[in-house]
Amino acid sequence: MAKIRIDKYRLLELAAPILGFLASIVVLLIIAALVGEPPGKAVAAILRFTVGTGARLATVFSVAIPLFLAGLAVAIAFRAGVFNIGAEGQYFIGGLVGALAGIYLPLPKAIHLPVVVLAAMAGGALWAAIPAILKVTKGIHEVISTIMFNNIAFALVNFLVNGPLSGRGEQSLEPQTHKILPSALFGKLNSAFRAIGLNIPEHVYMDYSLIVAIVMGILVWFLLFRLRFGFEIRAVGVSLDVAKYSGIRVKQVQIGVFLISGALAGLIGLQEIFAIRGHYTFEIASGLGFDGIAIALIGRNSPVGVVFSAILFAFLKQAGYGLQLYTSVPNAIIYVITGLMILFIVVINEIVTRYIRALRKKEAA
Amino acid sequence: MELSIIVDFLFKGLEISAPIAFAALGAVFSEKSGVVNIALEGFMATTTFTIVWGSIAFQSIWMGLLVAIITGVFMALIHAVATITYKVDQIVSGVAINILAIGIGRFLSQRIFGQETQSALNSYLFPTVFGINSFTFALIPITAVCWFAIYKTRFGLRLRTVGENPEAADTLGINVYLMRYAGVILSGVMCGLAAAVLYPSKWINGMTAGRGFIALAAMIFGRWHPVGAVLAALLFGYADTFRIMFETKIPIPSQFVQMLPYVLAIVVLVGMMGKAKPPAADGIPYEPGE
Repeated sequence: MAKIRIDKYRLLELAAPILGFLASIVVLLIIAALVGEPPGKAVAAILRFTVGTGARLATVFSVAIPLFLAGLAVAIAFRAGVFNIGAEGQYFIGGLVGALAGIYLPLPKAIHLPVVVLAAMAGGALWAAIPAILKVTKGIHEVISTIMFNNIAFALVNFLVNGPLSGRGEQSLEPQTHKILPSALFGKLNSAFRAIGLNIPEHVYMDYSLIVAIVMGILVWFLLFRLRFGFEIRAVGVSLDVAKYSGIRVKQVQIGVFLISGALAGLIGLQEIFAIRGHYTFEIASGLGFDGIAIALIGRNSPVGVVFSAILFAFLKQAGYGLQLYTSVPNAIIYVITGLMILFIVVINEIVTRYIRALRKKEAA
Repeated sequence: MELSIIVDFLFKGLEISAPIAFAALGAVFSEKSGVVNIALEGFMATTTFTIVWGSIAFQSIWMGLLVAIITGVFMALIHAVATITYKVDQIVSGVAINILAIGIGRFLSQRIFGQETQSALNSYLFPTVFGINSFTFALIPITAVCWFAIYKTRFGLRLRTVGENPEAADTLGINVYLMRYAGVILSGVMCGLAAAVLYPSKWINGMTAGRGFIALAAMIFGRWHPVGAVLAALLFGYADTFRIMFETKIPIPSQFVQMLPYVLAIVVLVGMMGKAKPPAADGIPYEPGE
């Protein structure tokens, strides 16, 4: 009997993200109606661009790969109560370091691919290191320091790509690095999927970054739930004081988790740099680090949850393009919906928590 | 010639500092009451849009300013409801509002001006004095008023009390929630004023460029004191003005000059930390005892 009750609470807790998602979709349809588009037409536009064809559906999953890595990076830091708002800068730097390893290290393919991945992780971790150290030694809140580091990172890569690392004139006039060596380029897995009966059109990028994402997802899960360090991360996240009194070295955990988060963030740009472009430029898609914050929150900071929320987010992104293309609703609506969704989820979560507390009290009485 | 450059630098610097200073004053109100507000950036992303739209729609910059203040208050209410009434994590709410705000600006711009990234030109502006937007000078009396309100009035005493010790304030019969709502709403008002000096002639997507976060650094550097925060904002503003005016004349790559305000913010924070104390209950939702 007691067990069933616990399950009921668990179910209630899971309801918050779902209710939050539904509430924000309702708002989306209301806004669409205010703009003069009947809800039916908006829904049709969204569905057509996201699940209308196999290619569209595959694109959602392709778009979800970097989003998953972004969510994972932010989520693991959140687990220890660290707000890594700097994933943005970390992937610009991580991507550049990875690209440099891809351009300047002549290695055989089997070695080169892991080397560029590790280089990107090192770059991301490096960029996270200073805010991490400033946090634990000086008490500077990471939200402010990482925002500053994002802006410094943009200026830095802008300088490097325009200056010392410029490969301009080789292929285009747009500022960019030299081309990445073929041995480091991310090939596509489309043929592998075809072998198991999934026909993904060639223009959809289902590349090696999918493998990177899966491996990282498993590693993070293993770290969080099977290793001592993961337990310490979670303990610090639940209560700093309790963790401190039980002998956990809180500062070391915070630095460690910050570096891991930065390393994961360093991977966000891999798909675009190594599979789609084949060179580095500071014009790679920006904003994925901020998307990661929303994805982590919606996925409740669990590696499994982040899988679903990354796919949901990719769906939303594509939905935005669908609305833009087939209706008069601007694509920017997706930012509105994302912001609202986070707010709805955390507020509903609080309401549910209060409700559960009241239920428990009643039971105890 | 030399002199005119210096005078130009002094006035231009004041104009460029003013939006950061207004936002920093807003941050002081919010954090004095105990609510961390990283959503200032988002508040300004919307107020900078609505001041342009309001001015054009009502053919008056004063109406535009009013619309911007109302917008700031509306955005602040979202943060207040989430963090005070529902005790949502204040950083999470701030992040969500910043994302929401980007969307609101771009959405409205697309609908109203037919372009997602910029508005039409607004020609209803405050008069220009000494080559700068005259509203800049409002910063001086407004800073004085803020100082007076926080340190010399009953309202200010109550605001500071709920930020330092909400339990004690509650015992004394002060409505903790109400005071915190006031603190957050005032930060929205300040972001409305910030829009009046942050290029009200045109809205461009992303024009706030991190000023909301720089304002937070200024508030910390100013030790949560309105005058201190404004002085710190002037430091950042003048650093930025130096960059804008002399970027091309300095023999180092422009990108490094562009890093200046952000590096300065980090350096200042490193120097300040441990020396300044935030309000004791800053960032902690108030849970009345049972």
